[in-house]
Amino acid sequence: MIQMKEFTFQYDTGKKPALKNIDLEIHDGDFVGIIGNSGAGKSTLTYAINGIVPHYYPGDFYGSVLVDGMDTVDTAPEQLAVKVGSVFQDVDAQMVATYVEDELLFGMENFGVPKDEIEARLTEALQKTGIPDLRFREIDSLSGGQKQKVAVAAIIALRPDIIVLDEPTGELDPESSDQIFQMLKFLNETYGTTIIVVEQKVGLLCGYAKRLVLLEQGEIILEGPVREVLKNADRMEEIGIHVPRVVSLYKELVQRDLFRGEAPIGLEEAETMVREVLS
Amino acid sequence: MKGLMNYFPGDTFLHRMDPRSKIVFSLLVCIACFVTNNIYVLLGILVLDLLIGVFGGIFTQALRLLKGLLKIALFLFILQALVMRAGTPAFYIGKLAITWEGLKTALMGVLRLIDITLPLALMISLTRMSDLSNALVSRWHVPYKYAFAITSTIRFIPVFTSDLRSIMEAQTARGVEFDTKNFFKKASLIVPLCVPLLISSVKKIETAAMAVELRGFNLRTKDSSSKVSQFHLPDYLLLLLGIGLIVLAVLI
Repeated sequence: MIQMKEFTFQYDTGKKPALKNIDLEIHDGDFVGIIGNSGAGKSTLTYAINGIVPHYYPGDFYGSVLVDGMDTVDTAPEQLAVKVGSVFQDVDAQMVATYVEDELLFGMENFGVPKDEIEARLTEALQKTGIPDLRFREIDSLSGGQKQKVAVAAIIALRPDIIVLDEPTGELDPESSDQIFQMLKFLNETYGTTIIVVEQKVGLLCGYAKRLVLLEQGEIILEGPVREVLKNADRMEEIGIHVPRVVSLYKELVQRDLFRGEAPIGLEEAETMVREVLS
Repeated sequence: MKGLMNYFPGDTFLHRMDPRSKIVFSLLVCIACFVTNNIYVLLGILVLDLLIGVFGGIFTQALRLLKGLLKIALFLFILQALVMRAGTPAFYIGKLAITWEGLKTALMGVLRLIDITLPLALMISLTRMSDLSNALVSRWHVPYKYAFAITSTIRFIPVFTSDLRSIMEAQTARGVEFDTKNFFKKASLIVPLCVPLLISSVKKIETAAMAVELRGFNLRTKDSSSKVSQFHLPDYLLLLLGIGLIVLAVLI
C-alpha cells in the first residue's frame, strides 16, 4: 500500500513545486492510471513512489510518502526496488544486455536471488508477460512493443508487489499499446500486482485502469474510480485532456436527454448504450 | 572496421569454451608471433587463425577480416620495403634499390600484424560479450563497474547511431544539405548535429543510470553472476596449444 500525506516536492533545479499537497492512497491490487498535461507532475509522482525522488533528484521534500509502511526518504532506492518495480519511458535506455535472457538475469543476480531459483523465476517472468519465445533473442532485433514487454519481464522477475510505469506505450502503435495494457491487466487480475501507470492515451487507459488520478500543475484535481472521474468530462476538457470519444458521445446523448444511464467505458458498453438509445 | 566486435551466434566447441581460455590463447599466439623469426611459423599461425574461423563456423567472416587487414598490410609492406636500405638489392625503382632483406622484413611484419589481430578478433566474434564480462568479473576480479562501462559503451553504439540518423533526417527535412560535396561545408554541419545528439545522449544515460540503480547495480558483487565459467578439457588443450606455439617459436 502506498500512502502520500501532504506531499510536496520541489526539484533543486525547479522554480516552483513539481507536486503540491498530494494526499493519495493506493491499495494493494489496484490499477491506477495517472493522467495530465505535460509538466503536470506525472513523472514526479512515479519518482516519488520508487524513491528516485528524493534520492536521485534532490530537492525540497515535505510531507511523507510511505510504501508498505517504509518511508521513502529513509529507505535506500535498492531496498525499495524489491517492493516497487519501475519501467521507464525510454525503453532503449533502460536495457543493459544484448540478449533477452541476460536482461532478466541482471536484476535477479544483483539482488542475490538464489541460483537454483533463478531459472524458475526467469521462465515464470517470461510466461507472465507472454514472451517465452523471445528468451534467446537479441534485444536489438525486437519491436518496440516486444522490448517494452522485456522491460516489464525484467522487473517481474524481481517479484515486486507494485509496478510503476511511465508512459509505457509512448512510442508504440495502437495495437502494441493495447497488448501492453492487456498484459498489465493480466498481471493485475491474476497475480494481484498493483499497477500504477502514467499514460497519455486516456481512452486506452480507461478500458483497463480501475482508478484515475488527474494531475494539473502539480495538484490532484480529480481522483477516483474511472467512471466517477469520467463524469467530470467537461472539467477534463477544460484542462485540455482528451476524454475518450465514447464519453463525448455519452455527454451529447445525456444533454439531448436521450440517455440516462452510467457513462460507458470501452467499446462494448458504448455499443449497449447506442443500442439502447436507438431502440 | 564494421562488424569487428560483433558476436556470431553458434554452438561450436569454440563457442562453448571458457572466455578466459580464448583470450589467453590469443595472447599466447601474440607472444609466439613476436618471439619467432621464422616465416614458416608465421605462415603456420596464419593457417591456424583461419582454422579458428572454420571450427567456429565463421570462415567467411574470417576471410572478410583478412581482406580488410590486407589493405593495411599492403600499405605497411610497401612502406617497410622502401625504408629498409641494408642488404643485397633485389630490383631497382629508378635509382632506389629494394633489397631482399627489406622484402623479407616487410613480409614478416605484415604477417605478424595479421597473425596477432586475427585470433583475438575471431575469438571475440565467438564469445558473447556478457559471458566475457561475467568471466572477467567473477574469475579475474575485474571491477564490475569497468566491465559494465565497456559492455554499455558497445551496447549504446546502435542506439546513438539511430538517434543521430533521426536528427539528420529532421535537419535534412528542414533544408540542411548533408549530401554536399564541399568538405568544409560538411564539417561546419557537424556542430549543429552534435549538440542535439549530446543532449539526447546525456538524457538517455541518465535514465539508464536510474534504471540500473533501481535494479540493484550497486548491490552486485563479483559472485553475483549466475553463469559461472569453468575450464574443461578443450580449454586446457587450447592453452597447451598456445604454449606449444611459443616453444616452437623459440626453438625454430
